[in-house]
Amino acid sequence: MKENNNRLGWLFASPYLIYSIVFFLLPLIYSFYLAFTNWDLIAPTYDYVGFDNFAKALKSPGVHAAFWVTYKFMVVFIPLVIVMSLVVALLVHSLPRFKSVFLIGFFLPYLSSGVVSSLIVKGLLSYNSPVNTALRSIGINIDWLGTAWSALLIVGLIMAWKFTGYYALILTSGLESIDHEVYEAAAIDGVTGRQRFWKITLPLLYPSIYTTLILAFGVTFGIFTEVYQLTGGGPNYATNTWQMEIYTQAFKNLQAGYASAVALLAAFATFVSIFIIRKLLEKWGARNGWN
Amino acid sequence: MVGTKRSNNKLIIRYVIAGILLLVMVYPYLYMVLNSFADWSQVDKKLIPTDYSLKSYTWLFTGGDSGITRPWINAFLNSVIVSLLSTFLMMAFGVMVAYALSKLKWRGRDTVNNFIMFHMFFPSIILLIPSFLIVQKLGWYDSYWALIIPKGVSLWAIFMYTNFFKAVPTVFIEAARLDGASDFKILYKIMLPMSKSITTVVFLFLLMERWTELLWDMIMVSSDNMLTLNVLLSQMFGPYGTYPGPLYAGSVLLTVPIIIIFIIFGKNFQKGMQVSLK
Repeated sequence: MKENNNRLGWLFASPYLIYSIVFFLLPLIYSFYLAFTNWDLIAPTYDYVGFDNFAKALKSPGVHAAFWVTYKFMVVFIPLVIVMSLVVALLVHSLPRFKSVFLIGFFLPYLSSGVVSSLIVKGLLSYNSPVNTALRSIGINIDWLGTAWSALLIVGLIMAWKFTGYYALILTSGLESIDHEVYEAAAIDGVTGRQRFWKITLPLLYPSIYTTLILAFGVTFGIFTEVYQLTGGGPNYATNTWQMEIYTQAFKNLQAGYASAVALLAAFATFVSIFIIRKLLEKWGARNGWN
Repeated sequence: MVGTKRSNNKLIIRYVIAGILLLVMVYPYLYMVLNSFADWSQVDKKLIPTDYSLKSYTWLFTGGDSGITRPWINAFLNSVIVSLLSTFLMMAFGVMVAYALSKLKWRGRDTVNNFIMFHMFFPSIILLIPSFLIVQKLGWYDSYWALIIPKGVSLWAIFMYTNFFKAVPTVFIEAARLDGASDFKILYKIMLPMSKSITTVVFLFLLMERWTELLWDMIMVSSDNMLTLNVLLSQMFGPYGTYPGPLYAGSVLLTVPIIIIFIIFGKNFQKGMQVSLK
């Protein structure tokens, strides 16, 4: 019986095991190896170049930009998406009927392809679009995607648009799990209105907010499609994310060796950042007694 | 009485605000649909076009040859084949592995469990270039294999099912075993029917993500007849920028099927989300 189960366990887990060897462990080792070569993705031969790729990457403006752009997107995207999803969740939660209709409606943007949302935004912001025509008539003329601050803002807005409904769904189920008795007890003590939100709802919602924050921070490390489609990382690297930099170096400039070194740096930066963010969030929760 | 009237008014205001907010959020979709039906002289010129025609759709379904005939229909079919097969594999393997991790006792289980955790939190960006090379070495480049097999296992699906299966009482499984049912049978006859709500959630998220994948599908194929709809749309973005009408029609073709599927499963999805978030 025991012997049998052992074999069965490995058998049932085998799809994952084979997959992780071929598409995780092997590429992992391969990428460390590639990072020390000058391979161009095509030529049959290449040389071992030591730490040259890393030295070059650490001095490259594209890599510097990628490092900082991630945090700039956080500054735009995180507050925006958290506030928007909180507003949607609180609003929908307060409705006695048609809750699911609204929740599903707000969730629809999450189903969009980044290519499609970029296309729509590009149309809405093109020179002769109704938006820009109206703005020009009152003397405002902005090249939205050709200006550093607005390009960052636009991509951040697209991401916030996409994820608001998804996070609102998470927050709504958090709101629903708050016991009514807590509110009743608080009402007896005279806690109502704004105080009720800050002293009761928000602290009790912490687990859901924590989940959304972790998800949202994760999103900022993987932005590619919108940037690729709208700005190509520009203007002047203003929206050059890690994915964009690695894609450009490997598949446009055909510097597979160098791009592998950049990818290792990106993974390191991502890993350390996520670790620090998690620790900070946990500390923040613990200090407020939210864990 | 005055009190109820006041709270009634308050409620109406809330519904109005929620309605307006929802309209703002879905406006980009409306803009896309309206522009796909707009006369080509009005595309991207008005917030709500006034002249309409089917020219964009005719162009999409009969013309726009880019090396092959009817590239859009071809790309749509590619997307359907790739997304469905990929999603099916991710779910079938996800269920299998999750069963092993939650309901079977075997030596090595804890090691595999920890390894999956490590794998999940590993920044996958490192893997892009070497995975591309491995796909090439396997001879899968520019074929369905490259689009389906490397996207055939989802750690997230394994994780979701493992958590869900853990909550299923072992009594059911033991009873079935006493009746002589094999583990495969237990999995498909007992575990799966019990996890309908979570299956809806996993299915929709996986399908949506596979359907809208760009980077992987873009680097894995090169021939015109292998492109997925999302990649074709992305490629047409540049050269056809001056004729955006068909691009909006293509966007509708890409977006509407997934929205329809989502609305069909909407109720189950919401239930499933509540279960999975607990």
